[in-house]
Amino acid sequence: MGAEVLTVSRDTKFVHLAWQREEKQLASVKFPMGSDATGKLSRMFGVYDEATGLSLRGTFIISPEGKLMNSEINYYNLGRNIDELMRKFKANLHLAQYTDEACPVKWNDEGDKTLKPSAKLVGRVHEALSK
Amino acid sequence: MSETCTCLGCNVGATVPDFTLETFEPSKGDFGEVSLETLRKKKMWTILFFYPADFTFV
Repeated sequence: MGAEVLTVSRDTKFVHLAWQREEKQLASVKFPMGSDATGKLSRMFGVYDEATGLSLRGTFIISPEGKLMNSEINYYNLGRNIDELMRKFKANLHLAQYTDEACPVKWNDEGDKTLKPSAKLVGRVHEALSK
Repeated sequence: MSETCTCLGCNVGATVPDFTLETFEPSKGDFGEVSLETLRKKKMWTILFFYPADFTFV
């Protein structure tokens, strides 16, 4: 679907190889595993933790034009919901094609109701969504 | 609070500067390289997924 998923940590590519080979949970992983050994990219995105030297759980969606569309950062102890990431990604694809629309909170997938922000919609979101 | 954070995590809508990372590519079983510039030229979306460290748990 025209997207590259790139996982990134401070580990070297050698450690990535060893981990992927060793951990059976990762047997089906197909994404390239990026090495940010210098921490430069982690700092650029604001996920570098000075106290530990590690990267926080940050997820970022970048458009084909190089624009940052989403930013989400979790602390160490909370894993991410892949369904929510997919929802955001699909919404981005939709909105890139239909630039006058917006995806409301309950938008989950193609075919769900979107909104077209305009003067008529002010104060009438409920009516627009229950049509 | 007069300082404005310039990190990308706090600046949705900003243009992401090009970067290149060395990679391990499980699909090829080999090392490689990924660059944002190349992905942009291929008209690809990029999803960056940072995590603390290999051999950890969540």
